[in-house]
Amino acid sequence: MDVLLNDDERLIAESAREFVEGECTIAVARAMESDALGYPPELWKKVAELGWQGMCLPESVGGSAMPLVYLGLVLKEVGRAVAPLPLHSTAVASLAIAGDGSEAQQKKYLPAVVEGKSVMTWAYTEQDPRFVPEAIKMQASAQGEEFVLNGTKRFVDNFVAADQCLVVARTTPGSKGAEGLTLFIVDTKSKGLSETALVTLAKDKQSEVVFKDVRVPKANVIGAVGQAWPIVERMLDRGTALLCAQMLGAARKDIEMAFEYAKLREAFGQPIGAFQSVQHMCADMVIYVDGGELLTFEALWKLDQGLPASVEVSQAKAFCNEKCEAAVRNSQTIHGGIGFMMEFDLHFWFRRVSAWSMRMGTAFEHRARIAQALIDRPGKVILGRPVPVTEVA
Amino acid sequence: MYFAYTPEQEALRREVLQFIKENVTAEVTEEMEAQAAAGTRGRGPKMAALHKKIHARGWLGIAYPKEYGGQGGNRLSQYIVEEEFVRVGINIGLGGSGAPAIIAAGTEEQKRYYIPRLISGEIHFCLGFTEPQVGADLASLRCSAVRDGDYYVINGQKMYTTTAHSSTHIYLMARTNRDVPKHEGISIFLFPMDTPGITVRPLWSIQNNPKAPQGTTYGESRTNETFFDDVRIPKSCLLGEENKGWRVGSMGLNLDRVGASRYLISVRRDEDIVNWVKTNQYDGFAPGKDPAIRDKIAEMWIEAQVCRLMTMRSMSIVEHGGNFTYEGSAEKVWAPEHGVRTTEAITQMLGPYGSLLSSSPFAIEKGVFAHNVMGSFQSGINHGSVQIMRDQVAKRGLGLPSARRSTKKAEAK
Repeated sequence: MDVLLNDDERLIAESAREFVEGECTIAVARAMESDALGYPPELWKKVAELGWQGMCLPESVGGSAMPLVYLGLVLKEVGRAVAPLPLHSTAVASLAIAGDGSEAQQKKYLPAVVEGKSVMTWAYTEQDPRFVPEAIKMQASAQGEEFVLNGTKRFVDNFVAADQCLVVARTTPGSKGAEGLTLFIVDTKSKGLSETALVTLAKDKQSEVVFKDVRVPKANVIGAVGQAWPIVERMLDRGTALLCAQMLGAARKDIEMAFEYAKLREAFGQPIGAFQSVQHMCADMVIYVDGGELLTFEALWKLDQGLPASVEVSQAKAFCNEKCEAAVRNSQTIHGGIGFMMEFDLHFWFRRVSAWSMRMGTAFEHRARIAQALIDRPGKVILGRPVPVTEVA
Repeated sequence: MYFAYTPEQEALRREVLQFIKENVTAEVTEEMEAQAAAGTRGRGPKMAALHKKIHARGWLGIAYPKEYGGQGGNRLSQYIVEEEFVRVGINIGLGGSGAPAIIAAGTEEQKRYYIPRLISGEIHFCLGFTEPQVGADLASLRCSAVRDGDYYVINGQKMYTTTAHSSTHIYLMARTNRDVPKHEGISIFLFPMDTPGITVRPLWSIQNNPKAPQGTTYGESRTNETFFDDVRIPKSCLLGEENKGWRVGSMGLNLDRVGASRYLISVRRDEDIVNWVKTNQYDGFAPGKDPAIRDKIAEMWIEAQVCRLMTMRSMSIVEHGGNFTYEGSAEKVWAPEHGVRTTEAITQMLGPYGSLLSSSPFAIEKGVFAHNVMGSFQSGINHGSVQIMRDQVAKRGLGLPSARRSTKKAEAK
């Protein structure tokens, strides 16, 4: 048991920070909020040279086959810089192909990801925003060597920048819940797709995408037809834990700005950081972000080891949703009026942490998942041992 | 990062669990309950025999050097053993023992005398820190130690000297200089409780009526106030240098704020409530199926995981030979406050049944939840309150400036 970074992990984190601090200034983030694509392609190329896109992809496609924890450390730095890179959505999709796609699919799609020539995303949510299989209504019907997709996906991240999108749809008509779902790789240039921009408080690129008779080759099915739920669950768990890492990086930077501000800003003849009312807020902020980090990296580490980690992922996201939000809200409070000003940079972090806390599962959803594992499964629960209980004594 | 125990550590845990199954019998538990209820001195004969057996297995003081009676093992192995024993109500940790401070500041002779005896349980310290009107502002303490040839003479009063009635020795913080800023005139002394001139009087906590059941992990039913009237002790009782006791004392406290016992105090009830709702219902109403209760249970469970991981962070830092900047204090904010939040949440899940104490019919889990209502906040008050801990996180961890702090000289007695 060692929750501290080892030398390799520290090196990854430090070099990622050095890069984003040099290349992803807040001016870049500011410019990209009103950019059509939402990211600078030349920056995407540069991070490919650093190997970020291929970090956890297999060596057979040019990747580095590193642990997910490393990508978590990188995404933490991406979040810290609020760097406008489609790394998270690309990672979610490409890791699903790497984990559950065929060798042919890996060879076809992943080298371009590694080289920084491809941006990927994934589409799960429809009208019902929950990450439960019941929320999937989109139909995919087999016609010859193709499937024909009809329906609507919402909150698709970076759809405008992506060339491939993983799509979850129902291939068994009338199926319910986790049965009859299939995961497709869909070319975003396919005929029958139409996109409408959603305007989020993070001002990132989210879309509603309508599928009207979109034809997808059968070769683009990941895994077996109708058997996608375990694949999708893994994809969402990885994506959720990675999003926590990104959110924590942003929250950490945000609260550090508050600590520095509290040392400089004077009121009543002393720095406001000398007042215990402010000090105690700051202490809570660092405890919240530390707590989120411990939960998140435990989840990522367990995913790396191939251990059951759904509970750990949900622990991390439920906690980060509420506690990162509380931390950056405190930071706004400490900054006072200036924190609300457009020309002051703090809002970039605040708006993103807020928006990310609403994505990939609310605190209620994740806690419901934990409660299910704790209460509805047999066996005596013991803190510090796996949940659901694996050995019933 | 490595979020698991090694196969050797897992094997150690299994070995300890097996030992507990075979040796912590109902008779031992009954004796512990009777001792605690009566507030009597020391361990009962069954517990003393069991402690000897645990010592013989080499499970006490695992992380302490061999020359001082330890095993020269790692801190995490010691943690694992402590955790399993605390779970059955036996605190074998050297957390509040004074041992870490003696290792850090003691003479070779003191280390060779005290550490093996603290490990074996032959010596047990009570802490003589706080006093009436002192509390969080510990450096304002007045209990005095005046040098007289080869002796010091102690006069004054100490409060909340828990276990003073059952301890062989006291670890006392006293003033040795009144003419310097208050932090710079404090020294630490180690001496036997049977030294003439010491009087111990019981103070009973609100948890005592009726007796808290075994397994109520917060605080003690009994604490004490201790009086010192011209207590003469040899100068060799001084720990560290004269007037440098503040640093030594803070160090001992810092290590006391983390560890298996402190962690489990705050999270035991999280396990209990999950396991209780899994198997209980009232006349067809199953609290475990209620969505609001399920949400709260999961929320508290996550908080408990943060307690665990913060403890693991402290262990990791110690294991790497590092020192805490703020991590120990952060843990001492989060865990006790979680203990309070979860206690209150659980009582809201149980409604009026949550109010039933140990001696009542229909008491749930022997009334531990109700007893915890009276005790859970203690953990956030003793050994540095959560407010003091937040001050430390802000100043030591985040470098925020000090509020104007009084450096005036100690008040006359």
